[in-house]
Amino acid sequence: MTVSKGPRRLLFLVTEVCANGGIQRFNQTLLEACSRQAIGCDVLSLNDSADSIRARPAQNHIQIVGFSGNRPRFAAAVAAALLKNRHDRVLIGHVNFLVLAMMALVLRPFGRPRAMMIAHGIEVWSGIGLLRRIALSKLRRILCVSDYTRKRILEQAPALRAKRLTIFPNALAITWQSIAPPAAPRGTSRFILSVTRLERGDRYKGVATVIEAFSMLADDSIQYRVVGRGSDLQFLQLVADRCGVKDRVHFMGAVDDTELISLYRECEAFVLPSGKEGFGIVFLEAMYFGAPVIAAREKGATDVVHDGNTGLTVAFGDVIAIKEAIERLMSDAALRERLRDNGRAMVTDGGPFTFAQFAKRCAEVL
Amino acid sequence: MCGILGLFSPVGDLPETETFVGALDRLRLRGPDDAGTWRDEFALLGHRRLAIVDLSPSGRQPMESFDRRYVIVFNGEIYNHKDLRALLRPLHAWRGTSDTETLIEAYRTWGVACLNRLNGMFAFAIWDRIDRTLFVARDRMGVKPLYYSDRNGHFGFSSRPSALTLLLGDGNLEIDPEAMRVYLELGYVPAPLAFDARVRKLPAGHYLLVNARGTRRVRYWDFRTIQIDPSMSRRPESELVEELDTLIKQAVKARLMSDVPLGAFLSGGVDSALVVAAMKSAGVEHPKTFTIGFKEEAYDEGPAAAKAAQYLGVDHVHETLDVNSLLDLLPSYIQEFDEPFADSSAFPTMAVTRLARRYVTVAFSGDGADELFGGYHYFPLMNRLAPVLRWRPNTKRHAARLFNALPLHRTKLLAGATRCHDTVALFHFLRSVGKDYPPLVSPDILKSTADSESWFAQYAAGFAMDLSAAETAMRLDCGLTLPDFFLQKVDVATMAFSLEARCPMTDYRLVEWAMRLPVDYKIRNGQTKYLLKKVLSKYLPHDCVYRPKMGFAVPLAQWLRGPLRSWAEELVHDDTLMSKLPLDKAQVRELLKQQASGKRESHPLVWSVLMLLCFVQTHGARRSLPAMDYREVA
Repeated sequence: MTVSKGPRRLLFLVTEVCANGGIQRFNQTLLEACSRQAIGCDVLSLNDSADSIRARPAQNHIQIVGFSGNRPRFAAAVAAALLKNRHDRVLIGHVNFLVLAMMALVLRPFGRPRAMMIAHGIEVWSGIGLLRRIALSKLRRILCVSDYTRKRILEQAPALRAKRLTIFPNALAITWQSIAPPAAPRGTSRFILSVTRLERGDRYKGVATVIEAFSMLADDSIQYRVVGRGSDLQFLQLVADRCGVKDRVHFMGAVDDTELISLYRECEAFVLPSGKEGFGIVFLEAMYFGAPVIAAREKGATDVVHDGNTGLTVAFGDVIAIKEAIERLMSDAALRERLRDNGRAMVTDGGPFTFAQFAKRCAEVL
Repeated sequence: MCGILGLFSPVGDLPETETFVGALDRLRLRGPDDAGTWRDEFALLGHRRLAIVDLSPSGRQPMESFDRRYVIVFNGEIYNHKDLRALLRPLHAWRGTSDTETLIEAYRTWGVACLNRLNGMFAFAIWDRIDRTLFVARDRMGVKPLYYSDRNGHFGFSSRPSALTLLLGDGNLEIDPEAMRVYLELGYVPAPLAFDARVRKLPAGHYLLVNARGTRRVRYWDFRTIQIDPSMSRRPESELVEELDTLIKQAVKARLMSDVPLGAFLSGGVDSALVVAAMKSAGVEHPKTFTIGFKEEAYDEGPAAAKAAQYLGVDHVHETLDVNSLLDLLPSYIQEFDEPFADSSAFPTMAVTRLARRYVTVAFSGDGADELFGGYHYFPLMNRLAPVLRWRPNTKRHAARLFNALPLHRTKLLAGATRCHDTVALFHFLRSVGKDYPPLVSPDILKSTADSESWFAQYAAGFAMDLSAAETAMRLDCGLTLPDFFLQKVDVATMAFSLEARCPMTDYRLVEWAMRLPVDYKIRNGQTKYLLKKVLSKYLPHDCVYRPKMGFAVPLAQWLRGPLRSWAEELVHDDTLMSKLPLDKAQVRELLKQQASGKRESHPLVWSVLMLLCFVQTHGARRSLPAMDYREVA
């Protein structure tokens, strides 16, 4: 693998860039911010392939090398990059790379770059053992995507200096922000929407509970559309069948951004009562396109969705509360408008989750 | 205890009352004291009554509201109905003192929201003659059963599925393949499945709204999302003991409402003793308690129960049986369970009910405490095995292979547990009757139906976050196993002798409290029901409280090698019978052969198969009972 020569740069170790997912979207936004601020950045991506990187529009100052999931090659490249004196900053994009990166840095014969790590969510909420605690203590900064993530790290590693843990929330992608939000909301079709991975290991996203709640609604003209794919699709179809709503629940698989935007714009409510959202960028996307949001009062989602202000929140798994929240939104136009306005304010000019704010935070930290 | 039956047709296509009465007769044992029917153009309602509260004619059902808009059939008890009466403003003075009248008035006033105010065990249906809507509900924990059928433009409901199939067809079975598969995995059929494909069980804590536009099923109460309250761990233990004791006493006191004699089952275990102690505290001076003991010491809880009774100062009735005499109850067992049911503890439950019915009409039982407070051996086991779930898939695969190669039953079970991918799957494995035995249903059924684990997974989707493995197991047991297995057993076994069982441990306030209680107060250092035993220690000496759990065990494995062997062999070699079921005959026969020869111990699975065969043999061609005189509501 080769990395560019010249002025010192940022080395960014990531799991993946070229895909649709919370972490991937974060990485994309961060690289866009780096590019716009002329922060030179070499990216080593474990899971991206050369093809997927080539298919991605080139960005100034950014160079990505993918390893197609080959862990040994990735590890060797990380070690090699860190042992050379070409980067003055290292940003570790996933806790799984932490120990490897810190060991390489310890072995480095001269000059240590400023090491930072991004703590997204579930991967750091538990399981921080002794080695990771030691490695964390060597970091200059830990960028936590939510307050909850920050608290969980401090609970597990109380010896860390709290001020090194900075809350560094995600933002709406600049590419999305350039799309005009709807002037007048809604089409004529009536449906609620979820956008999420449908993996067996991700049942905490709460799609099964939305299906059950949906089946209890008095209005049977409403549809439920689920965007996303994964190994749990069959189970969720089974749940829809058992709840007697298989004809009204539509699993749409992966959709392109144009279709996704139109779904956000047209839905009656965006419902994702997930129990373990590190941050929940989909909430920002939904808010930007004017969808009232229903989320669970859990973990990182509470940084974005404030009950009665930017959305409605429910206890995780509470199907009765989900049903009542949907019914409230359906029947209360004033509430819908208020949530829509307040939600959009979070991701438009002056809001805390705009790309401009994110870029500003990047400039400060990186 | 009563029996209810009803039918709704939006186009008024209802059967003759005589046909309806024939089906209603299936509920005779549930309600021997009275019977009644009601009909209009669109709805037909029937009720069989076991009179417990308000024995006068004003408590008769079906009952109309004062304005005649609503008509109710109701099975169960509303324990707080006197409190509700104080809140209600009826259209006219109360006509009697029954909880049925309170319930219909509560619905008139609060609509479906009345369910949130009820404390009781119930299954009822209210027909709204103006809106032409039927409202059908089942209590929070599923103490009372409710079956329904929604096909071909008819909606029917009943306390027993056989009454429903008789009403809607010829009474013959139409086996639901998924229910059969799930039954053979679990030993019971969880709601909403029912063994007959035309019938469904209304899950606990749900109601139905039925009208010409269709049927909507809604959950109105859900303990699954209740968060563990860590602040309880910071309180002094004595405070929690007092709080739990008070809650149990409140639950028992509420359930003392009765106009007929009441008593309690006393097994010698923790739960029933606590209930009896609470009865004493609530002012029942000498409650009558009932125990059956066995001549065989290994199964005999008689002495333990007698000792507890002595300390508690109750009027104790004890009967000692030869354990093999329980087999006399086998015909009743097969006849009364309207679905295949494989809990052999139904035998002693029926025996103690038979004894109690000679003295009382209502008996208290401790059911529910094991599920709420961590009484089963597999709860601590779940926490011990949970770290295995986090092993890497390759490690798990190799470990499973290694454990499986060892010639011990326990290591084979460990191998099965190691293959599980999450806590729900682990619980399912530990709870299933088949464990690692090959599937007994045909490959077609396996391919076309979902397994029972998917029901567990669906139920667990609504659980609060971050539960331990043991807590996950307890909630699954509370939500699925308790209503449709253990409470079903109590309901059917007591119904068979026209006795009403009351289960104070299923009081929803107690359930909600138990859900908040940290697991450390349920299982501690491998000891089960930690806090519950602390409460009982206030009333009984240490050796009564901390004796090993026995349960209502019967020597099933011995029976299958002895007195039941030839009967079992006849059943599995009956080709006509076997041909009615999509079972792998060779696998079934091999299973019994291995069990009978002692080569393999799989008696829970063998019993499940035998009960399935018996059920199909008995209920496959059902005859209707001769009708009795019926009173028709004007």
